[in-house]
Amino acid sequence: MILKNKLATLSLATVLAVVPLTGCGSSSDNDNSSNQTNASTNASTNTNTSTNTSTNTSTDATTNNSSTTDNAATATKLTGDFEIQYFVGGYGDKWWKKVIADFKAANPDLNIKELAGPKINDQTKPRWIGGTPPDFVYIDGPGLNDRQMVEDGQLEDLTEWLKTAKNVDGELITDLLAQPAQQYDGKTYNIPLVLNSWGVFWDKALFKEKGWTEPQDFDQFLQVSDQIKGAGITPFIHTGKYPYYINGAILLPAIVSENNNDTSILQDMGNSKVEAFQKPAVLAALNKIVALRDKGFIDKASIQINHTDSQMLFLQHKDAFIPNGLWLPNEMSKDIPGGFDFGFIPSVTQGAGGKVVANTSTSTVAIAKNAKNKDAAKAFMQFIFSKAQASQWAELSGAPSNIKGDISASNAPSFVKDAAKYLTDANTVVIPTITFNADVDKAMQDATDALTIGKITPEEWVKRVTDVAAKVKQ
Amino acid sequence: MKSGSSKLQRNIFIASFIIPTFVFYCIFTVYPVIKGLYYSMFDWSGMSQNKEFVGFRNFKDLFHDPIIWKAIGNDYFLVVGKVIGIMVIATFFAVALTRFNFKLAGFLRSVYFIPNILSVVVIGVLWNFIYNPQIGFLNGFLSLFTKEKVSITWLGFTSHTIWMLLPPAIWAGIGFYMILLIAAIQNIPDSLYEASELEGAGQWQQFRKITVPLIWEQMKVSILNIMMTTLNGSFVIVWIMTQGGPDNSTQVMGSYLYQMAFQQYHFGYGASIGVLILVLSLITTVVLQRLLRHETVELG
Repeated sequence: MILKNKLATLSLATVLAVVPLTGCGSSSDNDNSSNQTNASTNASTNTNTSTNTSTNTSTDATTNNSSTTDNAATATKLTGDFEIQYFVGGYGDKWWKKVIADFKAANPDLNIKELAGPKINDQTKPRWIGGTPPDFVYIDGPGLNDRQMVEDGQLEDLTEWLKTAKNVDGELITDLLAQPAQQYDGKTYNIPLVLNSWGVFWDKALFKEKGWTEPQDFDQFLQVSDQIKGAGITPFIHTGKYPYYINGAILLPAIVSENNNDTSILQDMGNSKVEAFQKPAVLAALNKIVALRDKGFIDKASIQINHTDSQMLFLQHKDAFIPNGLWLPNEMSKDIPGGFDFGFIPSVTQGAGGKVVANTSTSTVAIAKNAKNKDAAKAFMQFIFSKAQASQWAELSGAPSNIKGDISASNAPSFVKDAAKYLTDANTVVIPTITFNADVDKAMQDATDALTIGKITPEEWVKRVTDVAAKVKQ
Repeated sequence: MKSGSSKLQRNIFIASFIIPTFVFYCIFTVYPVIKGLYYSMFDWSGMSQNKEFVGFRNFKDLFHDPIIWKAIGNDYFLVVGKVIGIMVIATFFAVALTRFNFKLAGFLRSVYFIPNILSVVVIGVLWNFIYNPQIGFLNGFLSLFTKEKVSITWLGFTSHTIWMLLPPAIWAGIGFYMILLIAAIQNIPDSLYEASELEGAGQWQQFRKITVPLIWEQMKVSILNIMMTTLNGSFVIVWIMTQGGPDNSTQVMGSYLYQMAFQQYHFGYGASIGVLILVLSLITTVVLQRLLRHETVELG
């Protein structure tokens, strides 16, 4: 009896001890193995392999791209594995699915693997750290910053290659880019794929109803804002929680306007050069924000609200102007009241008769320095930077592409066509894509917030940001 | 023979409980802490293949960083504010719901507990709405009493915005500690109160001389727990409501850690903030325990 009891207790104890252990052992084994598969380049179990998508669309792909197929195929026959990492966010993944399927059809011997999703940047992080990254990367979404990737030595230097690289149609890629690639100490690592723009929105219908003029320069902007304020509507709202909106749509274009439309000042700021921040153009631009603040044009709610709240207030006509990006109509499509008609101008801070300054917002593509299949990655670049993709990107993603090409005949949304018109107009100064150092960017955002609520002066703004830039430069 | 085997049996039985816990503790607590300490010695972006060993430089930089001092100040402001706010109100409610027998006590107990079952994220969003200057509840309510529409930007003051995070934090915490103290009060024998009543003690004297001393252990646990959860967990409410802004005025150590490690690509620096949180939590716990133990002796 006692023995039985003992045995029972003993077995119970063993079970208790072993079950959690095995559970934990196996789960940690799983973790390890999944890490390993993640880390190994030849991971066969990774997320979306493109086989099924390519079979779905290969028929029309071959018909569409029969000519390009020949071009690509004659160069070199691409084989092996080729991994593409792309973040899926506001622009969706329709274009990626399509273009990858087309590329696959053109290179049947290439085994393409897609690493995609809204969390992909986090999911592939261990591989970037481990030195076995995917071959090709689309830099978009949280967790990826092109400047940081360059500084970390993660991206392939494309300077020499890009000078002569021709796309599948035999055109020089650099000739096709609406805005050039960002230079890091004279070197190119990533190429802008998307061309979006910051700017200021209003409701044309409301302006028509009230008889207000749509502003073309800063004086007009101040004048009409005065009228708007008189009518009991707050002229201007922004999101103080994300001050890069007001920086991107107001401050940076204003700096360029004040710098005689010379965008090099922003490139220097992007490279954290202290002198650039100390130029009078910066101070003059900051004083324009101060003018808006002191005239009481900035909605007091701005400082504490997020972008969605600011956009809602704008749509409800509580405020007349909002600095934002061209994605706004898409983003708020469910909440736009009937009769609302978006008016848009890339900048309002230019002097009378001055050129409009468009500060672009972009996402870029790059090749990993440790890519295993650089030939395929370069061929893919040559494939996607072709005129045919300009309309296709605009149609499938709802945003203008950085590839020059006539999209007026495409099915792209009308505001995308309008924007594309603006961005290719000879009277528009287009600021080439600039990614600030994350520390400098944060300092600029904090300082702008502080400036809009009267906590600091423009001089203090400059002091704060130059201090950070100097520290970064060390 | 018999005693030997029963000893073995006993040991196996104990081990069956201790070993799994210990293993999990090592995996989920010890290992991350050691890893955190390790990373805090490096200059690492969080994505690079290369980490540069910098020794204690991150901690030196931390010392010269004005934002971290602001964050520590805000953290301790929240600790003090929450300890006082939660303890006073929770004790008051606990006494009211147990010592004064009235009908709605059971119902109110549930009502006060509700904020505790809400996620902090929900609480943050809710209070963001309350504080919204244009369409918020608070300004709407105040406008009832004024001629002009009230348009205070509750979360947008140039400084002291951290005060505004105190009400939601207190509101969210009361329920749990109230239940804890109610349980403690219900454990006090009724005879003590009856005897004191015969001796002519009023409610206030009963509270001071009987209730507080006898629930002091639970109050102590509550205070320590509020302190620890605040130092480690203020991140969520700050991130949901202000993201540390405007202009870093509501930054706490947790939010600054996140900001540095994941948004400004200073993972090593972020790890050193994590170490700082650990050290400060330990020190504060020890100090508080000392202070509170002293009180017990006096009351005893």
